[in-house]
Amino acid sequence: MKLNLFGTTVILLVAFLPRHECRAVDSRGGALRVLAPQTPNSQQQQQQQQQSAPILERLGEEYFVRLGNEDSNSLPSSSSSSSSSMYPGGAPATYNRALQLQLTRRLLQGKVGNIRALFSGFDDRGDESMERGRRSEDPAISLDLTFHLLRGMMEMSRAEQLAEQAKNNEILMERYGK
Amino acid sequence: MRVMERTFRGQLFLLVLCLSVLKGNSRYIENNDISRDELFSLFTSQLKRETPEELIYRRPLRCLDMIAVEGQFTFTTANPQLSCAAFFMAEPSEVISVDLDNVDIDCSGGDFITVFDGWVVKGEKFPSSHDHPLPVNERYVNYCDTGAPRRSVPSSQNVAMVFFRIHNAGSSFTLTVKKHINPFPCNAISQSPEGSYTMVIPQQHRNCSFSIIYPVEIDISEFSLGHSNHNNNDDNFPKRSLPGCTETEDFVQLLGGRGLDTSKLLTITDFCTSFTGATHMKVGCDNTVVRIVSSGRFVSRVTFNYRLLDSQELQTIKLNNVEDFCFNN
Repeated sequence: MKLNLFGTTVILLVAFLPRHECRAVDSRGGALRVLAPQTPNSQQQQQQQQQSAPILERLGEEYFVRLGNEDSNSLPSSSSSSSSSMYPGGAPATYNRALQLQLTRRLLQGKVGNIRALFSGFDDRGDESMERGRRSEDPAISLDLTFHLLRGMMEMSRAEQLAEQAKNNEILMERYGK
Repeated sequence: MRVMERTFRGQLFLLVLCLSVLKGNSRYIENNDISRDELFSLFTSQLKRETPEELIYRRPLRCLDMIAVEGQFTFTTANPQLSCAAFFMAEPSEVISVDLDNVDIDCSGGDFITVFDGWVVKGEKFPSSHDHPLPVNERYVNYCDTGAPRRSVPSSQNVAMVFFRIHNAGSSFTLTVKKHINPFPCNAISQSPEGSYTMVIPQQHRNCSFSIIYPVEIDISEFSLGHSNHNNNDDNFPKRSLPGCTETEDFVQLLGGRGLDTSKLLTITDFCTSFTGATHMKVGCDNTVVRIVSSGRFVSRVTFNYRLLDSQELQTIKLNNVEDFCFNN
């Protein structure tokens, strides 16, 4: 009887203790593992640019190229590449050239938004927009990106998320799936 | 003996009652905790979902970056970087918090790190000023402002971004990105060009937008106002004398355009009568938005699917349309 009472008391205590929302633990892996196909060489890359493949696919390839150099976050020494104002993450020369070709092609097609902002390094525009902001009480910090580039970035971030999720699943299976 | 039986039965009844109370929360006492300290985990208030230090995802932050994972992202540079931005994105039912750590910048020299609650592209904001609960100036938090909160505040929707400008080589900072569940999502940007979504506004006077920055075919399968589908004879439902939704305070809009700001998009169509049944539309716009306007008197709900239009469909739509604005069919 005393045991019953004790058991009941324990259950009541556990039931009414303040609780936090329990969800499955999401563990995070360490370094990102590249699951992409092998990095194409520069010749293949240039050949692909000659074709009319969507910019999205080329951004995806270039993204995986950059994953191989993920620790190089420094600017290239030359500042002549105007596209480096957008992607100055230490991209290899082939990547810069590929991006220049893409942007030039899109410029000729008239699909890129504000070219001046993209290629001028935003400094003056940043100041202008800051001044406009003060006048209109709106901070007005903004970035001129086309939707096409935004979509490309979304695709790359999604791929990174899926790769990380796959790695976490593998870790969880190794630890607790046996 | 009978007294003992009655007492035992009473305790047994109490035990069964407790077990039935725990039915929905039994996971709390189930030993599904994977931490080492299993015995004491039941009695600690520490959140079980804190990620161990060694398992946090880390990588360098780029000057132009988009991040959809939790983790720590460190920006360092050997050259001045004057126009940088990092976009953050989560699932529509999540919000994002961004913490700044190990900040080594020169605020007095013109450096800044500004967190924005939403996205800004080409001067257009998502969510728009009409749909966001905060005024615009409160959506920007500059780290270099003396009164800026050092503790992170979660975003109001599944997107956020950080603008930063670094003049000096060797300056650095670290962003810690975390996602949190949003039980009542309102504004969201879709991560992918295909999917399905249900927007619910639980009797709140607010407007909510779901933005798909792709040309899509959208299929609205259900729209309801109130706790159940109304018919037009319901006295509580406003009677309209004019066609369209101009007189109503609760309706759903399908918007399309080329920008991010939903207040600058064109209305393709709107719905203000509850219905169940597929409504297909092909919208060849850069940005397709489903927006609910709610007075707060009803529980508004709309369910829709969407898929990306291929190039042939886009071409067909363009050829079939006379109007110049981003084509719909």
